[in-house]
Amino acid sequence: MENLEWGLKMTVLGMGLVFSLLGLLWGLLTLVLVLDKEPSVPVSAKEAIAEAERIAAVADDAVGAQVPEPATVNGMPADLVAAIMVATMKHKLTLRRQAAPFMRSYWPGSKMFASRWVATGRVRQNYSWQPRGK
Amino acid sequence: MIDQETIVLLLKGVNNVTWQSMFMIGVSFVLMYLAIAKDYEPLLLLPIAAGCMLANLPLSPMIAEDGMLKVLYNMGITNEMFPLLIFVGIGALTDFGPLLENPRLVLLGAAGQFGIFMTLIFALLLGFTPNESASIGIIGAIDGPTSIYVSGILAPHMLGPITVAAYSYMSLVPIILPPIIRLLTSKQERMIRMPYSSRKISRRTRIMFPIVVTVLVGTLVPFATPLIGMLMLGNLMKESGAVERLTKASAAEIANTVTLFLGLAIGSTMVGSEFLKTSTLFILVLGIVAFAVDAAAGVMFAKVLNWLSGGKVNPIIGAAGISAFPMAARVVQRVAQEDDFENFLLMHAMGANAAGQVASVVAGGVLLALMGAGG
Repeated sequence: MENLEWGLKMTVLGMGLVFSLLGLLWGLLTLVLVLDKEPSVPVSAKEAIAEAERIAAVADDAVGAQVPEPATVNGMPADLVAAIMVATMKHKLTLRRQAAPFMRSYWPGSKMFASRWVATGRVRQNYSWQPRGK
Repeated sequence: MIDQETIVLLLKGVNNVTWQSMFMIGVSFVLMYLAIAKDYEPLLLLPIAAGCMLANLPLSPMIAEDGMLKVLYNMGITNEMFPLLIFVGIGALTDFGPLLENPRLVLLGAAGQFGIFMTLIFALLLGFTPNESASIGIIGAIDGPTSIYVSGILAPHMLGPITVAAYSYMSLVPIILPPIIRLLTSKQERMIRMPYSSRKISRRTRIMFPIVVTVLVGTLVPFATPLIGMLMLGNLMKESGAVERLTKASAAEIANTVTLFLGLAIGSTMVGSEFLKTSTLFILVLGIVAFAVDAAAGVMFAKVLNWLSGGKVNPIIGAAGISAFPMAARVVQRVAQEDDFENFLLMHAMGANAAGQVASVVAGGVLLALMGAGG
């Protein structure tokens, strides 16, 4: 019981001192900022997150900061960004495949249709193999 | 032929194997596994594991009077030099900009130290002495060097388990914080968006910050002077830009070398006969309690701030007031995005986190002052 009383006294005193000191620090910092006269401007969340990531990246080198924390890109989990990127590329490929028939001059099966391989060979046939001027 | 005496000498190591030393070597393997395979604080846990293994080998000359580990312990732990040198490196890597942009967040850092004193009471109730209880409580600072510094002065015999607990739990921030945050906040509270405003912090203010903090804290709590002085020295070197070579050396070469020495020296204190006690188990459990109470107190205090500000403060940033910079802030951001993907709290959480860094040092100094030790 005596221990508990002593502990409670320490808690009240300790937390009181910590709050008082940091409250004083708050006041002093506010005063310094007022004297600094730098204006406060609203910024977008994207800008703020980029700045915060920059600060965090530097501090990550400190001992006691190494955590198996998933990497982030602009605040988004890196895994998610990678998944979005793969999905985007896949979607682009699908669009290209779907658009392919419209881009063709001749449909497969027509006599005029030629695969890229054949077309390249035909083009090469049009060039003389002999050196120019002979 | 080999005589009996020679055989005894050759088998001296094997004959001196004890179950305690074997158990501790097993513990060192677990620490190695956590450091290498799980990437939990590898910079410190791997040297600690190595120190533990070397100290527990039978008749280890490493912990004899002139053994290397003993020399390292006397060189940097007994006189508290290693944790202080690490603090210079931390200061050189920490940007207090987010805190300077929003100084009121400093109060969240103060609230995040409640677990220290709450755990002190629990430890007292479990029968620890006042000095031991304060040393266990300081695990709640969630700040390795502060824990080592304070416990090294108040209860050096408990340095091993306290350091292992402090650094291991710091690695567990992403696992421990989210459930506490979710338990104490509603979805609506977690979805509160906080507006950003960027205040350009002039170089003059950035230079003045470490000086003001050192003079203020050093004058009012002289016991905290070594901790805050070294932390702010690193920051002053960084922000002044005048001694780039020293800043880089403090953050890299010096910090790395000291970390290796510190880890080995701490590991060497984990000798089976000293470490395997019921008190070690209590320390590990109380460390988790300190951590949880810190986070809970931070969230509850942020709730009060939210109420006072008319709903403008997201309570979950309070959990970042526990120090462990910057990982606690990152975890808070992740929790916020689970409910609202476009809620960006990282900068605010970083402010609370930087405040926690300063507050943990202040709390360490206050604790030493209250116990009438240190200096």
